Amino acid sequence: MREVELVVIGGGPAGLAAAVKAYELGLRDILIIERDVELGGILQQCIHDGFGLHRFGKQLSGSAYAQKFIDKVEEYNIPVYCNTMVLEITKDKKVVAVSPKEGLVQIQAKAIVLAMGCRERTRSQVRILGTRPAGVMTAGAVQRYINVEGWKTGTRAVILGSGDIGLIMARRMTLEGILVEGVYEVMPNLGGLRRNKAQCLDDYNIPLYLATTVVSVHGKQRVDGVTVAKVGSDRLPIEGTERYIPCDLLVLSVGLIPENELSRNAGLELHPITKGPVVDTTMMSSVDGIFVAGNVGAVFDLVDYVSLTGEIAAQGAVSYLEGKRISSDVKEVIAGENVSFVFPQNFYIKDNKEKATLYMRVRKTMQKVRVEVSCNGEVIATKKERFATPPEMISIDIPTNKIVDGELKISVLE
Amino acid sequence: MDKESLQKSITLLEEKFKPNNISFTLDNGLICFDGNMQTWQDMIDFCHAVAKLPEVKHVVSHIKTPESVCKEKIDITPYIAMGEVTNVDVLIIGGGVIGCGAARELSKYELNILVVEKASDISEGTTKCNNGMIHSGYDTKPNSLKAIYGVKGNAMYTQWAEELGFHFNRTGSFVCGFNQDDMDIIQGLYENGIKNKVPGIEVISGERAREIEPNINDGVIGALWTPSAGYVEPYEVTLALAENAIENGAKIWLNTEVFDVLQENGKVTGVVTNKGIIKAKVIVNSAGLYADEIARMANDEFYTIHPRRGALGILDKENKGKLHTFVGKAPSNYTKGGGPQETPEGTLLIGPSAKEVADKEDLGVDRDDLDFILDKAMELTKNISKDTLITFFSGNRAATFEEDFIIEPSKKVKGFIHVAGIQSPGLASAPAISEEVMNLTLAELGDGVKGKSNYNPKHTFNKAFRDCTNEEREKLIAQNPAYGKIICRCETVTEAEIVNAINGLVPATTMDAVKRRTRAGMGRCQSGFCGSKVLDLLSKELKIDPTEVTLKGKNSEILTQTTRNFKGREI
Amino acid sequence: MVEKEYICIICPVSCDLTLTDDGNNLSVSGNTCKRGESYAKNEYTKPVRMITTTVAIEGSVYPLIPVISTDMVPKEKLKKCIELLYNLKLQAPVKEGDVIVKDILDTGVDIIAAKTVKKVG
Repeated sequence: MREVELVVIGGGPAGLAAAVKAYELGLRDILIIERDVELGGILQQCIHDGFGLHRFGKQLSGSAYAQKFIDKVEEYNIPVYCNTMVLEITKDKKVVAVSPKEGLVQIQAKAIVLAMGCRERTRSQVRILGTRPAGVMTAGAVQRYINVEGWKTGTRAVILGSGDIGLIMARRMTLEGILVEGVYEVMPNLGGLRRNKAQCLDDYNIPLYLATTVVSVHGKQRVDGVTVAKVGSDRLPIEGTERYIPCDLLVLSVGLIPENELSRNAGLELHPITKGPVVDTTMMSSVDGIFVAGNVGAVFDLVDYVSLTGEIAAQGAVSYLEGKRISSDVKEVIAGENVSFVFPQNFYIKDNKEKATLYMRVRKTMQKVRVEVSCNGEVIATKKERFATPPEMISIDIPTNKIVDGELKISVLE
Repeated sequence: MDKESLQKSITLLEEKFKPNNISFTLDNGLICFDGNMQTWQDMIDFCHAVAKLPEVKHVVSHIKTPESVCKEKIDITPYIAMGEVTNVDVLIIGGGVIGCGAARELSKYELNILVVEKASDISEGTTKCNNGMIHSGYDTKPNSLKAIYGVKGNAMYTQWAEELGFHFNRTGSFVCGFNQDDMDIIQGLYENGIKNKVPGIEVISGERAREIEPNINDGVIGALWTPSAGYVEPYEVTLALAENAIENGAKIWLNTEVFDVLQENGKVTGVVTNKGIIKAKVIVNSAGLYADEIARMANDEFYTIHPRRGALGILDKENKGKLHTFVGKAPSNYTKGGGPQETPEGTLLIGPSAKEVADKEDLGVDRDDLDFILDKAMELTKNISKDTLITFFSGNRAATFEEDFIIEPSKKVKGFIHVAGIQSPGLASAPAISEEVMNLTLAELGDGVKGKSNYNPKHTFNKAFRDCTNEEREKLIAQNPAYGKIICRCETVTEAEIVNAINGLVPATTMDAVKRRTRAGMGRCQSGFCGSKVLDLLSKELKIDPTEVTLKGKNSEILTQTTRNFKGREI
Repeated sequence: MVEKEYICIICPVSCDLTLTDDGNNLSVSGNTCKRGESYAKNEYTKPVRMITTTVAIEGSVYPLIPVISTDMVPKEKLKKCIELLYNLKLQAPVKEGDVIVKDILDTGVDIIAAKTVKKVG
């Protein structure tokens, strides 16, 4: 069986960053496996701007952000298998993939970076009732049709979900001549960034309905309308508030879930809240030599974070390949007050870097908060934020030399 | 029995259901109602009660309620004007499991057989939304057709599966009891099952049940166990039957709707369809939900099909292995109670519910339906999470008020065979019903029908790529690189398999048809990723514009227009 | 005196801005950086927006290529700019950063390719 030092599964922003970083750290035997016909992942359909402000200091569109990394991969001549689907990975790091060109590919990897990204939640997962006609699609599917393949999927749309993808698609569809009847959000607050509400909804007079959801779909063959209703604090529809809205397209932007079929089958420990593998601050999973990068670990809101975790995973993988890594030296990071989850879930004690980055999401919307990391009762890092909302990730760096025995905890305090 | 005494019984029922302006005719045990009632459910309950009267053999209801749907009258003169388009020995109306099963059995003979199906694919009606259970037969009324055909058909599945190559798991089924009341019902079911000659039936303890099925809820104290129950994928069975029938010379026309049945001198001569006139010596009415309408066209309407909707749910494959058998509950009125089971493809299926609906095309799922099937699954099992639900949908059972099968030649029109009211355990009964339809058809045709010397009962499906070993996969890709192109990630479906389905004996011409044949789009992302790729393949293989590709036939197009005026793509 | 409320779209912080026009001077409050101040003033006097869309292309795997403006363009010209772009058809190959339209509708802003598209077939 063919041997490869580092196999990167997925050629989106996480996988690209991991491969490029591993190369820059001196590793040469790298292979990127990508299921699509081209590199870039979901960024290829994200034609709007707002990417890479942290990394490149300017507002790039998603495709241009990806291009920066793709150019590096080409410059470094990192081998890539496109149009290739990984069917299986094992605990001992065997990779089985297929492609029309390469046939059945079986590789013994020494280290693996998982970068499969995430997928969208579907209508059933948010329990939208009614019939199953044509014209109910996830925002990502509509985005691909419109931005990549050049097809419109309706003439009059209702959008459920006010996350950034929902807002961006409201503007995109409007510009393409699709009437957007409104954006509906089950939560009492906006799901995405407020600047996206300003430039995607307000600019085009698209109404936003908070605490309102789509209850059911109507139509036998094609959607001919949806019923929306206001929801109570339990997020369940309030009887008597139902309203019928004629439309031929329902676009769902109702959340993302890490894509972890391969991780689960390989026996990686998965986290119940992030739904991705449990990792330490070097992005190593519960299986030695298998690392995790980007949204496959936890769904991020900014691509910059995705690339960063890819680079950390690459550093971890290179150090693992150099034999400098002892897997048992980890310590749990406890999600404390107001924190729904922290990622990575474990801290790698022998980390030789000066600082490690933790990402977290809060449980509720708060103003003027202090993020506080404590170790054995002593505060070792703090950060102030003007706003903290559940859809937005907060990152904080912790000094590795301050980690001692005892409880390591992260809290967000008002 | 005379109309007067019947009138008395009916007056008593009328007081209970308060119909307004009900009139009826009585003819030889057939009672036919007209008029109006307050609600659809009242009408159903009323007709069910009438059907139970000893004087009544059959009930037809033309009673209107506010929920009733009015069908548009179609002018069929242009279709008659199209003239005769083909001439067959046997015309089978309806491409569900019964129609395709009958076609396959009849294809043993030197006969010209045609199945017409109004939808864009076979199995599009009641068949596709069936939970795939091959019932053991413990709960059907002894000596009813359901009991007789059900137990017989169940036993015949072993041979069908062997010959036709579809997945069939004979894993058994449970009816669970949580308390003594449940156990009393279970004892009754056991005695009923003994009368129906259900093989291996027994009442077992909760512990014993959990030995067989570890994830049965700890609250279950005892269960009825019938090891003969099994599971199939109903659309796979139907496809196997249809393809084997075609391999043996039968034909299937999709998108072909029957508008009228033609007869001369009390004998059928053919039908009028949207494709023109089809002449036939014998007509088999296996039109499922529409069997009563076809019977009316033949002037022999003696039953009414009232759709009873059942919702089903599918849980993620991550639950694979948690359950192997059907786990049901002591039943309530007109439903088996529903419950979770693992399908042969390894997904966990929950449901069905049961709700009377006025519209035969009403395939919605309401909150109470979904709550019912989810709650029941959770109540009966452990270690299974509601959150793993990936899809839910519903189907309509083709129920009559007599709640039994009708499998008989018409007493009024020669050459017309009724196969109606085929609801649960219709799928289990399908082999026995198909055989009976074959016999009835041969009897109608009279002597001189010869057996086919080259009849081949064997049908094989290509092994799914996801079930292949790596060596087999390597070979397949070497033969055809399209096997190396994974279209559906969730279910590992290759481009080659989708292309094969589109060009199959019964061509898959819609997204849903491709899904039923290959599982592309059936997984957890519900076609979010593969939808556009399947659409592209359909467009290329069928040589149609992408905007003409549909989800499930006419008026279910997925794309509306291009975003730009590309070369070769007009706005 | 005129007071206007805006949500700043310059960065993800999305500050709530208040602009006051007292007849002589424009003043901005609520901003946490300099860019917020100029955004509010622009928004009041001549609002501008980025353009991101796609343009038809031939000879490539997909029929569209994403494009972006090099700077913001006046909001009232947005529709006209997009109309112009919707009527273009490019030929592959195109490199990321290639100028697709120079000085679009005399705005002084260029439209550039946001992706490298190779020629196929």
